[in-house]
Amino acid sequence: MVTRDALASTLVTLVQMAAVVALTPLLIGMMRATRARLEGRAGGRLTQPSRDLLKLLRREPLQADGTSLVSRAGPVALMATSLMLAALLPLVATRTSARVPDDLFVVVSVLLLGSVSLALVGLDSGSAFGGMGSSRHMTIAALLEPTVLLAVYALSIPAGSSVLSDIVATRAESPGTVISPVSLLALAALVMVILAETGRLPVDNPSTHLELTMVHEAMVLESSGRDLGWLELGSWMRLTVLLGLLGNVTTPWGIAGSAAPLTVALGLIALVAKVLGLGVAIAAVEVFLAKVRLFRVPELLAASFVLAFLAVSASYLVTGVAT
Amino acid sequence: MTGWAAQGVALGAGSLLLTAVLLVWRAGTRNAALLLGVQGASLALLVLTLGVHHHDAELVGVALLVLAVKAALVPWAVGTTASHVGTPPPARLSPAVALVATTLLTTLGFWVSRPVVSASGPGAGAVPVGFALVLIGFMVMLTRRDALAQLVGFVVVDNGIATVAFLAAGGVPLVVELGVSVDVVLVVLILRVLVRRIEHVFGSTDLALLEELSDR
Amino acid sequence: MSPLVWAAVTAAAGGSVVSWLAPAPRRSLAAGIVAVLQATAGVALGVAVLGGARVDMALAPRGTALAALGRLTVQPTALGALFLVVMSAVALVAAVFAIGYVRGPSDSRTAWTSWFVFVAGLQLVAVAGDAVSFLLGWELMALGSTALVFTEHAARTAVRSAGLWYAAMTHLSFLLVLSGMAVLAGHAGSVDLDAIAAARPGGHTATLAWLLLATGFLTKAGAVPLHVWLPRAHPEAPSHVSAVMSGAMVKAGVYGLLLVSLRLLPAGPRWWAVALLVVGLVSAAYGILQASVTSDLKRLLAYSTTENVGLMITTIGLADLYRAADRDDLAQVALVATGLLVVSHAAFKTLLFLVAGSVLHATGERDLDRLGGLGPRMPVTSVTFAVGALAAAALPVTSGFVAEWVLLQALVRGGAPSDPVLAALLPAAMGVVALTAGLALLTFAKAFGIGCLARPRSDGATAAHEGSRWMGGALVAAAAVVVGLGIAPGPLSRSLASALAPGAASASPLGGVSLPGLGIGLDPLGLTLLALGCAAPVLGAAAWWARRAPRRRVELGWGCGGARVSPRMQYTATSYAEPLVRVFGQALDPRRELEVEHYDESRHLIHGIRYRHEVGDPVESGLYARGLRGVAALGERARSLQNGSIQRYLGYSFGALLVVLLVVSAW
Repeated sequence: MVTRDALASTLVTLVQMAAVVALTPLLIGMMRATRARLEGRAGGRLTQPSRDLLKLLRREPLQADGTSLVSRAGPVALMATSLMLAALLPLVATRTSARVPDDLFVVVSVLLLGSVSLALVGLDSGSAFGGMGSSRHMTIAALLEPTVLLAVYALSIPAGSSVLSDIVATRAESPGTVISPVSLLALAALVMVILAETGRLPVDNPSTHLELTMVHEAMVLESSGRDLGWLELGSWMRLTVLLGLLGNVTTPWGIAGSAAPLTVALGLIALVAKVLGLGVAIAAVEVFLAKVRLFRVPELLAASFVLAFLAVSASYLVTGVAT
Repeated sequence: MTGWAAQGVALGAGSLLLTAVLLVWRAGTRNAALLLGVQGASLALLVLTLGVHHHDAELVGVALLVLAVKAALVPWAVGTTASHVGTPPPARLSPAVALVATTLLTTLGFWVSRPVVSASGPGAGAVPVGFALVLIGFMVMLTRRDALAQLVGFVVVDNGIATVAFLAAGGVPLVVELGVSVDVVLVVLILRVLVRRIEHVFGSTDLALLEELSDR
Repeated sequence: MSPLVWAAVTAAAGGSVVSWLAPAPRRSLAAGIVAVLQATAGVALGVAVLGGARVDMALAPRGTALAALGRLTVQPTALGALFLVVMSAVALVAAVFAIGYVRGPSDSRTAWTSWFVFVAGLQLVAVAGDAVSFLLGWELMALGSTALVFTEHAARTAVRSAGLWYAAMTHLSFLLVLSGMAVLAGHAGSVDLDAIAAARPGGHTATLAWLLLATGFLTKAGAVPLHVWLPRAHPEAPSHVSAVMSGAMVKAGVYGLLLVSLRLLPAGPRWWAVALLVVGLVSAAYGILQASVTSDLKRLLAYSTTENVGLMITTIGLADLYRAADRDDLAQVALVATGLLVVSHAAFKTLLFLVAGSVLHATGERDLDRLGGLGPRMPVTSVTFAVGALAAAALPVTSGFVAEWVLLQALVRGGAPSDPVLAALLPAAMGVVALTAGLALLTFAKAFGIGCLARPRSDGATAAHEGSRWMGGALVAAAAVVVGLGIAPGPLSRSLASALAPGAASASPLGGVSLPGLGIGLDPLGLTLLALGCAAPVLGAAAWWARRAPRRRVELGWGCGGARVSPRMQYTATSYAEPLVRVFGQALDPRRELEVEHYDESRHLIHGIRYRHEVGDPVESGLYARGLRGVAALGERARSLQNGSIQRYLGYSFGALLVVLLVVSAW
């Protein structure tokens, strides 16, 4: 039976990875279309991002003299870490792999591994812009780290475990925890984290090509063809998996608790609905936001840190006294 | 305390704290009035929950009074003042540092309120939030240089004191609350006039300019 | 097992003789091999003791001059043996590296003799069974390392100032530890550590002893605000010495703290634990913040040592706190985290300092702003640098990640503690540890990215080449340990647990670490396999498309047209950290100077612009500079006591004599 369980969990993992890869271009297309509609433009087709990706992936990459192996390996590494996130996180079903638990710290370290790959690709290009983007990217990532850990930790206290599947499962069982103040504070912080980590407004403008303000675009400026394709897909997939996690934490219903085909199918539909819903919501809010100055980003991050910190200490101190 | 009452108290307390944190960040802007309104409404929610829970009609009346004064009147006064003054001078502490300091003050608030919490009645779990509000309000008044932020800080301190009073003492008689509310409204109105006068005389609400008034 | 002890002693003595007799061209090989033997004896002894062997012997033969000091007992406990293995292993790798690395003053007779004294001191500290031999080892360690820091004093003036700071601070540490041990030994009436532990002093005696010992050990460990010697001495010492100082010697301070908190004064009041926790957290955050804005590679590594030591001290404080709150299960996990941090830091920091040595050897530069492009020129150094940087940034699959994971588990599994002290401290601790991890990530992405990638920024970096095979071998061995411990940390965690906290950790079937008390585990091997599984389809797809559209090399990157100008247009380490300097400006005290020179003919034509940017150490400039000024003022005032008159000096002596006589008679 052990082998059968293992087989089932491997299959679920593969379903999750395939779902994320397939869903990602659609998500980006939806977000762009939403933005275009709200701004009164016609916008591109929903399939445009996937066409762009395929075009890029088929093209030859250029590599300048003086760049090292990192320029070649970095994009693949980013893509691999994004796939790992898709495999690890509870997206379609909880507890997708028994051997490698989706422990919070493991997930965060995989996420950071991807960030570092991207930052090194930016540095390896040897241009001023690559270094600038890399420096800003890493500064934001470094300042985000406390918020990430504290926010998810605040959510994990009711579950008594740092394993994300357990957190989602506990929240699904007791809906009271979902709208408690602690949970709301932590979710607000988490939303901030996701926006900053994936380079959305107001931290970074995903559609900018103005050299002095860009963060993500500056790092991939020197990449071309296949390399650029991997970098774009890998970065977009980070948005998909993080939105999937956020969706499962805010509305922990529909996610499959077992590997039975019907529940997995249901979980898949729920995941698509949640991710696309959140994506459209973010795109709609972004229309009304302007990018903040880079040196005011720390304020934003400090505010989200305070929210996460208050969530943790409130759940320690208030619940500790009230019970 | 039943489930919904605990939820109500927790929601009110959480939202009080959240608005206080956002006020640290945004004191001295027009958003401050909105945030103060939300904070006042949260306080009213807290009182209303207690009143319904104890089947205490007087406390429900107090809740309505709080709603009228702190969620409508005071924010209106602050808002109209804010729309008349220009951009505030920069704070003494950078916003990021002030925000991180907020976490320390909150922890301190939880820390010092332990004796009160263990001695008092229902909903006492949220008392530390009141203490934290008082400390945060003081910090806003200390670190901001503009007169409007002093007003905002004062209201936050008052909200904190009210929170502690309601939760630790299990409610306040309507007459007492009426008296206190009138005081607060008066202070706010006076400060409001003062802010407008400072702006009018100096062309800015920077309190550092007041130091020129001394005889040295 | 006593032959191993004698082997180590003989190697230390023999090595000193060899380094005096061997002629210069052969000296590094001959002395280096003896140094390797000395370190190997230490590793073997430690492993034997951890395996259950008992050693109890006296180093001082009766009737010799040494016997006047006491028996000088060698009696390693499991804890000591653990540190013996770590320190000796670090010395082993560094000695191999030194064979290929040393030249000029670092290959002198004095330098090699000091090395043997230094390593012998380290080993003696770990195995000492009584206070006297502990202090003897401590002083040998201090003397040997001080001499080694001064090695290159003739070449660079900075070495002298660094050496003076180091000598002062290390002897401050010795004096404090000596006084603390004296207080304890006085109370117990014996110098035996066992007897001291059994005496269990209480009240003011215990507090005094704890304060003295903790301050002494924290000085040696390099915790803030006693860290000032570290960022001076580590960069100026030869790199193989820096490796041992950072990888092994600061661990002596950590060993001392563990000795105090587990053995000598185990049941102290809670404020001791809170103090340790706070010092640890402040050191961690301050150390990594300074490291992240430094562009001198070795100074960066030195500050990062302060950070890692801070994390170790945090775990020790945390363990004490948990024990005081009756959470022994968590206390033990925290101790396992201490052990893992010690071993992991020893492995990767040794590696990184040796890498810095290799870079210095090849380019003559240790300023990151003048490096770059080392990847293709020094492949072995660059790859091992990447491994070490990953571990220092606590990313998988390295030993650093495993250690950080256990530390975080010990922090978060506290649940909602009913204890208010814990409830207030744990979220703060978690926030600081997370910030530390984030900044470490930036620091080492910067160090590796600026140092090894892109185009070289100076002639030295352009002409870089790999060093000798000895150096490469040492680097590869150290990197293998880092990765090995990262993939299969199970056996190590098990033996750490048996030495520090029995039963707190065990090995899972895949070689991962498992924490039975908390019911969780980590299998880095599984994670590695998953990573390979995820990389395989990407690589496959890339290879498929590469057949139709192969990669094309071009001469220059695009860089919005800017790449053609000069390698100096690239981002440097200083510019990389600039946003951070702004964010943490209030804690870093940055100084900027801008001078614009104009042509004489017109103010509108600019001849040149000079820009200086410097980030100081506010602790040093605030605390120490003020203290030193005070001491200097005191000295000035004391000067008026002497005017050269003999009669006056005789008067002082006479007065002193009178006072002594009066005091003695009045007693």
